[in-house]
Amino acid sequence: MKWSWERFLVAILERAPQALIDHIGMVLVSLIVAIIISVPIGILLTRPRLKWLGGIILNILNLMQTFPGLAIVALAMPILGMGFKPAVFALTIQGLLPIARNTIAGLYGVDPDVMEAARGMGMSRKKVLYEVEIPLAMPVILAGIRTSAVYVVSVATLAAYIGGGGLGDLIVSGLNMFWPDFIVVGAGLGALLAIFFDRVLGLVEKKYTPLGYSTE
Amino acid sequence: MIKLINVTKIYAGQKEPAVRELNLTVEEGESCVLVGPSGCGKSTTLRMINRLIEPSSGTILIDGKDIRETDPDQLRMGIGYVIQQIGLLPHRTVAENIAIVPRLYGWPKDKIKERTDELLELVGLDPETTRSKYPAQLSGGQMQRVGVARAMAVDPPIMLMDEPFGAVDPIARNHLQDEFLRLQSLMRKTICFVTHDINEAIKMGDRIAIFNRGELVQHGSPHEILSNPVNEFVRDFIGYDRVVKKLSLCRVGAIARKDFGVIRESELPAAAEIMRKQQTEVSFLLDHLGAPGGMLARKLIEKQGAALSPGALKELAQKGREAFIQEDALLRDALSLLFELSVDYLGVLRGETLCGVVSLADIREYAAGKEVD
Repeated sequence: MKWSWERFLVAILERAPQALIDHIGMVLVSLIVAIIISVPIGILLTRPRLKWLGGIILNILNLMQTFPGLAIVALAMPILGMGFKPAVFALTIQGLLPIARNTIAGLYGVDPDVMEAARGMGMSRKKVLYEVEIPLAMPVILAGIRTSAVYVVSVATLAAYIGGGGLGDLIVSGLNMFWPDFIVVGAGLGALLAIFFDRVLGLVEKKYTPLGYSTE
Repeated sequence: MIKLINVTKIYAGQKEPAVRELNLTVEEGESCVLVGPSGCGKSTTLRMINRLIEPSSGTILIDGKDIRETDPDQLRMGIGYVIQQIGLLPHRTVAENIAIVPRLYGWPKDKIKERTDELLELVGLDPETTRSKYPAQLSGGQMQRVGVARAMAVDPPIMLMDEPFGAVDPIARNHLQDEFLRLQSLMRKTICFVTHDINEAIKMGDRIAIFNRGELVQHGSPHEILSNPVNEFVRDFIGYDRVVKKLSLCRVGAIARKDFGVIRESELPAAAEIMRKQQTEVSFLLDHLGAPGGMLARKLIEKQGAALSPGALKELAQKGREAFIQEDALLRDALSLLFELSVDYLGVLRGETLCGVVSLADIREYAAGKEVD
């Protein structure tokens, strides 16, 4: 393995921009789909009528979370073929659990006295959900999305194996060709991207933490 | 008016009913305190009135109308509800918390704002500084005030209160109780008030309903209950100092007598003579401005009064210079003062002026009386 500055520049200037865009696209789409699926599931599972289902679904999600990322990516290929779609599918599955789990935890964590007071004043169940439960659970739900985002950014590098593109392409090429410069650019940008998502979502989380929670 | 008819509640999976065959009426403008040991069914009863819990059988009427005919949310919007943990929404400001029910009714913004400020003042909080605070920035007592203000937002005729002052320290509790009594004397709402503290019940209730194991054991005015407890449980629950407790039901002014004598400072030399003429048990010494400054009991004077010099008499009288109490004080406080000063009589004051006398014997007579009101 030999380091070449020439190839490094090629990697960072010619290959990286497109790879980064693909990578971010993949992550965002999977994350949004995961949120759209997980948050409503989390909410449904905390409603009194569906509470019994909660344990079962959480267990299934837990199980899915234990599958190695590469295994899911590989399993998605025979069914969905190569490219962007199967990659997004695999990533979405990986992203579901932290969000669903935090949604449930967040909603369970809402002070029952606050809810009793709200019900006792005549707020309907729907109003209590939208005006009390969700706002109060929001910081925990957002923390789940943040965990999920960081996780999905890293698993997305595996998408290259099924032609999903992204930063994984650079890493895979580097590994195949014994080009350390490619590997460093791919892996390095992946790490930076994870930090970036974490920070940005951290800010969002702070913004949506109800003011009353901070006592300063 | 709230009327519970044969109300029974059995929770799923339990054999014993939480509330059994309950019949209870709370009259318009009356405060009824439900009291009993924990698990006696008092809170369950309260929650059945606003349908947070549905009774297993029986009927509850509010102003003659079965509550099952009203949609639960609508029903609750019309009933003030205060709980021990207060349950202020932590992500909403004080003003927004108070505005919850008005918003459910769809009041216009400026009306809500006006009402919020009015309520904050009513419960003794400064609207300017409190309005935009979050609950976490308030003390326990302040939160409880906001909780009460919130429950009164749309001026509901009925208030349900579940240990509303249970979570604050004793001094703040006493203060909140007094203030709530003041508010209630102005507004005359129909109140159901749950507590496990018999002293609070005696203080807050026009009537007290004592519960035990899901059954109503005794229902009556505090005076009735303290005078005639129906059974051993009630006797035990209200405590063996019930006669002393009765003394906090009555104010000094109510039993004060007018037959007291008055001696001016200048008349001291003839004190014994005057007191004999006035034929009163006790005389009070007034200074040259007419302000009470001492007390002379006739018994004492008759024994040795003639032999005493005016100076000695004055000194004797001034020993009782603290033996005065305001007419709106409770008999309990009067008794305490009598013991503290080791005297037999207290002068009763209205502001600065002497208006009566109350003796240890008078208090004893009141305490022993069964049906005096």
